[in-house]
Amino acid sequence: MVRRKAPAEEPAARSPKKRTLEADPYEVPDDAISPKRSRATGASARRTAAPKPAEADVEESVDETQPSVEPSPTKRRPGRPSKTNGQVATPSALRQKAVVATPIKLNGINGVDTPSRRNNADRSARRKSARALIDRVVGGAISGDEGEEEDIAREIYESSEEDEEEEAEQAETVAATPSKRGPGRPRKNAAPAARKRSPTPPRDLPSHEQYFYQNKPGLTKTSGNNLSSLDLLTHEEYFSILRQIKDPHAKDVEFLQSLHAESFPQWAFELSQGFSTCLYGYGSKRRLLHQFATYLSSKDQSSPPSKIVIINGYVRTTSLRDILSTIGTAASQKLTTGTPVAMVQSLLTSLSSTPQTSLLILINSIDALPLRRPGSQSILAQLAAHPQIRLVCSADTPDFPFLWDSGQRSLFNFTFHDCTTFAPFGPEIDTVDEVHELLGRKARRVGGKEGVAFVLRSLPENAKFLFRLLVTEVLVAMDETGSSSSGEGPAVEYRMVYNKAVEEFICSSEMAFRTLLKEFHDHQIITSHKDSLGTELLSLPFRKDELEAILEDLMS
Amino acid sequence: MDALDDHIFQEDDHRTAFTFTPSSASDPSSTSPSTSRPAKRRRVSSKKTDFTPQDAQSHSQGPLSTFTPLLSSRESPLCINLRASLFQTTWPLLESRIAEVLRSSNATTLEEVTSFLSSFASSASTAPNQEGCDQQPAISAAREKIPAGFIITGPNIAGQELLFEQLGEELAKGGARVVRIRSGEGVNLKAVLKKIVKDAGSFDAEDGDGEGQVGRKGGRKYLDYDLEALHEVVKGRRVVVAFQDSEGFDNALLADLVRLFWEWRGRIGFEVLFGIATSVELFQARLLKSTARLMVGRQFDVVQADKVLESVFRSAVVGGRARVRVGGGLLRGWVDRQGGEVVGVGGFVSSLKYAYMCHFYANPLSLLLAEAGELGWEALQPEHLEAVRTLESFRTHVEAAVEARQLRHAQMLLDDDEYLAKWILEQGPRREEYLQQLLRSLHLLLAVGLHTTPFTELYISALSDGIDLSADSQVLEKAKQLGPGELVALVERLLDAIRDGSAELDLAGWEDDAEELTKPLTEIRDDIEALAERAKADRNPLKSKYSAQSRVVRTTVVAQKVQLSHDTATLTEDDKAFTAAIDKLAEVLIRHIQSEPVTSCPLHEAWLYDAKSPYRDVFVPRPGVTFARALSRPHDYLSCACCKPNNSLSGTLPTTSVLCHLYLEAGALINVADLWSAYLALVGEDTDIGMDERTALVQFYRGLGELRAMGFVKQSKKKADHIAKLKWL
Repeated sequence: MVRRKAPAEEPAARSPKKRTLEADPYEVPDDAISPKRSRATGASARRTAAPKPAEADVEESVDETQPSVEPSPTKRRPGRPSKTNGQVATPSALRQKAVVATPIKLNGINGVDTPSRRNNADRSARRKSARALIDRVVGGAISGDEGEEEDIAREIYESSEEDEEEEAEQAETVAATPSKRGPGRPRKNAAPAARKRSPTPPRDLPSHEQYFYQNKPGLTKTSGNNLSSLDLLTHEEYFSILRQIKDPHAKDVEFLQSLHAESFPQWAFELSQGFSTCLYGYGSKRRLLHQFATYLSSKDQSSPPSKIVIINGYVRTTSLRDILSTIGTAASQKLTTGTPVAMVQSLLTSLSSTPQTSLLILINSIDALPLRRPGSQSILAQLAAHPQIRLVCSADTPDFPFLWDSGQRSLFNFTFHDCTTFAPFGPEIDTVDEVHELLGRKARRVGGKEGVAFVLRSLPENAKFLFRLLVTEVLVAMDETGSSSSGEGPAVEYRMVYNKAVEEFICSSEMAFRTLLKEFHDHQIITSHKDSLGTELLSLPFRKDELEAILEDLMS
Repeated sequence: MDALDDHIFQEDDHRTAFTFTPSSASDPSSTSPSTSRPAKRRRVSSKKTDFTPQDAQSHSQGPLSTFTPLLSSRESPLCINLRASLFQTTWPLLESRIAEVLRSSNATTLEEVTSFLSSFASSASTAPNQEGCDQQPAISAAREKIPAGFIITGPNIAGQELLFEQLGEELAKGGARVVRIRSGEGVNLKAVLKKIVKDAGSFDAEDGDGEGQVGRKGGRKYLDYDLEALHEVVKGRRVVVAFQDSEGFDNALLADLVRLFWEWRGRIGFEVLFGIATSVELFQARLLKSTARLMVGRQFDVVQADKVLESVFRSAVVGGRARVRVGGGLLRGWVDRQGGEVVGVGGFVSSLKYAYMCHFYANPLSLLLAEAGELGWEALQPEHLEAVRTLESFRTHVEAAVEARQLRHAQMLLDDDEYLAKWILEQGPRREEYLQQLLRSLHLLLAVGLHTTPFTELYISALSDGIDLSADSQVLEKAKQLGPGELVALVERLLDAIRDGSAELDLAGWEDDAEELTKPLTEIRDDIEALAERAKADRNPLKSKYSAQSRVVRTTVVAQKVQLSHDTATLTEDDKAFTAAIDKLAEVLIRHIQSEPVTSCPLHEAWLYDAKSPYRDVFVPRPGVTFARALSRPHDYLSCACCKPNNSLSGTLPTTSVLCHLYLEAGALINVADLWSAYLALVGEDTDIGMDERTALVQFYRGLGELRAMGFVKQSKKKADHIAKLKWL
C-alpha cells in the first residue's frame, strides 16, 4: 500500500520543483523588460543569436546561454555612461554578428518545433536583459552618478510598497516619470500570466481545448486529502436522512413537470403517426412517463384498449427475456422460449396475425447499463418498428444517441424531446452503492461490519475464531507497516495463519482450514492472492477502522 | 401528492417490466388538473369526426383525437376536426406516392438480381422443381460453385431493409425460398443455421407438418439446425440466403457458412446474396481465398441514394400532390443533412411527415387548405380573421393596395369581417394558380435542360427567390449559342413537355390553354427549320449573332502592338433571320418561364411550412448542450427565486448542479475529499443554507451518484478517493 502510494505522489512532488526552477530565472527580468521597450532592438538581435542551444534541454540551454551573453555586457559597459550612444551603437554591432551566426544554427534547429525554440529565445533574451539591467544598476552605482542615485532614492521612497523587482525597474528607468509606469504596469501583469502555467485554466476555453489543457502530463496535481476522516453513509442512514430532506426546488420541479405534461397531446399525436418518442434531459423522467401512460390510457379509444407495458431499464437484473415475456403476456401471445431473437420474432409474427391488438411500451432509462448492449437495442428497435407497437422511452445520460446505428435509428423513428425535469432520481440510481463503488470501496460485498457479523452468525464457532485470528493478524500487520487506513490492508501469509490456527485448536487439518476459508471466500469477506514468490497471502477487504470494529464485535 | 404517487409505484419501480393498469394510477392525473381537463373536452369534440383512415397503420392505432384547440383554446371543434381530417387526407396520399417511388427506384436492381440468379437455376438443371428428387445429381454436376450476388447498397444500412424485402418477394415469386439474415441475428453458426432452417422450411406451412421444420420422415427427427431437415422440406428447390449487412458478420462465420453451403450444393440449391456497404474488393479481402473460390458472383449497384432522394423530392415535395409546401430554408436544411449525415431517404420522409404534422397540428390557419366546398366562410371564427390580419403577407397585401390607391379595398379588408372572409376564400384558387405556374415553369426549365444546378437547388431558389430568366441569364445565354439543329430539338422538347406534362410532378399536359406559348414556339421551330433547310442547300452554315463561329477575333498591328478586337462576322440575311428567331424564342421563354417568390403570395402562411426549430430539436437533438445548460444554469429551467439566472455558483443550486460547477473547475483528476469540503463550504452550517454535515453528505452522495450515472466521472485508480473526469462540457 505504502509502496503504491509513493510513486503516485512522486511526479506531483517533482513537477512543481521543476516548474519553479524554470520560472525563476525569468521572473525578475520579465518585470524589468517592459519599460525597456526602447532597447528592444538590442534584445531582439540577441534573441536571434540565442537559438544556438535550443536543441538541448531547457535547463541546459539556460546555462549555455550565459557564456554567449558574457561578451555583450562587457562590450556595453564602456559605452554605457552616454546612454543614447550606447543604445544605438551596440545593437548594430550585435545585429551584424547575429546575421552571420543565425543561418547556420537555424538550419540545425528547424527540425525542432518552433515554439520551444522561440521560448528558449525569449527566455535567454529575458535573462540577458536582466543581466544587463543588474550590471547597469551595479555599474551605475559604481560610476557614482549622484543625480541618478537621488532620483532612484526618491522613486523608491515614493513607492514604498513596491517590491524589489519594482525597484530594479525604477533603477533602470533613470529618468522615470510616474506617467511612464502606467502603461508599463498592465503589460507586466499580463506577461507572467501567459507564460506561467497557472493552475486554474482560463475560463473561456472551448471544451476540447480544456480537455487537452487538463490532460497535459504533469498537470494533474491534487491534494493528498482523503475521506478517511469522514464517516461514510450506510444505506440506513442515507435513507433515513433522505426522508427528512425537503427540496427547496420541489415547487419549481413540480411546475416544470406540469409544463412538460402540457405536451402530452402532441406526443400522443406523434405516437399515433408511427413515431417513437424519446425524452431526454437531466432529471428523473419516471413520473412524467407514468403520467403520460395514464394520460394515454385515459384517451385510448381503440376497441380492445391497447396494453401498456412499462420497462424499467435501470433495474440491474433486467434481462431481455423478462421484458419480452412480459410483453408477450400483455399481448396475450404465446411465445416460443429460446433466445431473445427467436422470441421477438415469434412475438412480431403473432402480433401481425392479430391486427386489433396494439401495444404501448414505455421504457424508463433506455440507456441504462443493462439495456446498453447492442443486442438489446436492436431487439427494441425491431419492436418499435412494428406498426402495432408504439414506444416511448426516456434517456438519462447525455451520450444516449450513440446507442443506435443508423439502421436502428430509422427503425425506432424517434422524435426527441427535451424533458429536463430536475426531479430527483429514485430507484434509478442506487446512490450509496454507486458512490462507494466510485470511491473504490467495494460496495457490493456483504456490507461492512454488519455483513461480516451476519455471515459469522451462520457459521460454526470455529469459523468465528478463525476470522478473529485473521483480523488480529491483519491489524498487527497494519500496525507494523504503518499503512494508512485507506484502501485494502496488508496481507498475511497463509501458512502462518494456518500454523496459528492449529496452535489455537481452531482446526486440526489443512483440509478443515481450507473449508473454513472457502466459506469466507464465498461471502467475499477475505481475499487471497499469491505474491511473486508463490507464497499464498490472505487479506481482508476492509479498512482499519472497520477491522477494529469487527474485532470489537467478535470479542464481545 | 408526491408521496402518494411514489407510494403507488414503489413496488413496480424495482420490477424489470410489468403491465401498466391505469386504475392503479388514476390518481396522478389529478396532480396536474390543467392537463387532464382539456383532454376530456377534446375527446368529446373529436368523436364527431368522420375519419377516413387511408392506411392500415393509422387505422390500427385508433382514430386521431389528439389535436388541441388553438387560438387560445377558442378554436371551435369544427375547425379542429377540419384540420385533423385535412391531415388525414393529405399525408397518406403523399405517403403512398412516396412508397411507390421508393419501390420503383429499386426496380432495375431487382430485375438484374433475379435474372442473374434464375439464369443459374435454369442452366444448372432442367427444372428440378418439376422433376423432383431424381434430378438432383444433375444440379450438383453443373453447379461447382455457389452463385453469389454482391449488392452494393452504400453506407446507409437503413435503406437496405426495403431493398431486401422487395428482393425476397421477387425471388419468392420465382419459387425460391428466401432467408434474410442481419448481423445481429447471426451471432454464430448454429443460430444462422437455425434461422435458415426455420425461415426456409416454414415457407409454406400447408405442406409442412404441425411441428414445422423439426419434422421427421420415417420416424427420424432432426435437430433444428440440421440442414437435412431443410432438405426434406425444400426438396431441391432453390434457397437464397441474403446477408443484409455482410460487413457486420464474422469472417470465420461467413467462411464456415459458404463452405457448408458448398458442401450441400448437391442436395439444396443454395444461392447467396451479400449486401455490401463498402466495395466488393474490400469484402473479398476479408474472405479466405478458399472461400472466395467456392462462389461465382456478380456485382450489382443499387441506385444511388441521392438519385432516389431526388425522385422522392420531385414527387413528394415539388409535385402537385403536395398540399403543404415546405419552405426553402427548411428544405435546404434537409438536403444538407442528407449530404452531411447518414440519414437516408427514410429520414427525409420522416422529416416531411413531421412538417405536415406540425403544420396541421399547430397552425390554425392550415384549415384554409380545405376545398372550397368544405370550408364556408361561416366556419371561420373571428379569431381566424384576427389571425389573418396579423399575417405578414396580409400586411404587405394591404400596403400594396394602399399604394395602388385601392383604398376602399384596403379599408374593407381591415374593418369588414365578411369582406375579409370572402377575400380569404378567394385566395384558394390563387394558390392553385401560383403553384401551377411554378410547376409549369420548373417543368419547362427542365425541358430546356440547360440548368447547371441540381434540381433540388433549382426548386429551393424558385421558391424563395422566384424564377426570372432575364435576370439569371445563364440558361438563356447557353440556349442562344445553340446551333439550329439543337434549337429545333429544344423547341420540340418544350412542346412535348407542354403536351405531356410530367407524371413525376403530377403535372398534366396543358396544351389546350397554352395557345400563346405553343403557337410562337411552333412558328419559331418552323422558321428555324426552313432557314436550316435553305442554309443546307446553300452549303452555307447558318449562324447567329450569338454563335461562337460568328465572332471573329481580329488581330491588327498598330504601332508594333497587337490589338485584338472582337468583330461580328458579317451576317447574311438568313443569319439575321435566325438571330431574330432566337431572340424571339428567348423572349417567349422569359415570358413564360417565370414565377414569383412564394412569399409574395397573399396568405402563403396557410400552406407554406418553413419553421426550422421543431424539426431541429426533434430530429437532431443536442443532448450534450441540453445537459450542460441544465446543470450549469438551472435557473433557465426552474426559474426559481433562490438561484440567479446567470452562470454563477451558489449553494442554492440543486446539488448536482453545484457539483457540476465544481467539477468543471477541477482538473482531469478530482479529489473527492476536496470536492466534499468545497461542497460543504458552500452549503454547510456556516452558510445561509445551513445544512448539517450528514444531510449535506446525503445530498453530496446523490449528486455524485447522478454525475456517475450520467457518465461524467469514473473511479480512478491513480490515487485513493480520487475520481477521473470523463466529460468536458
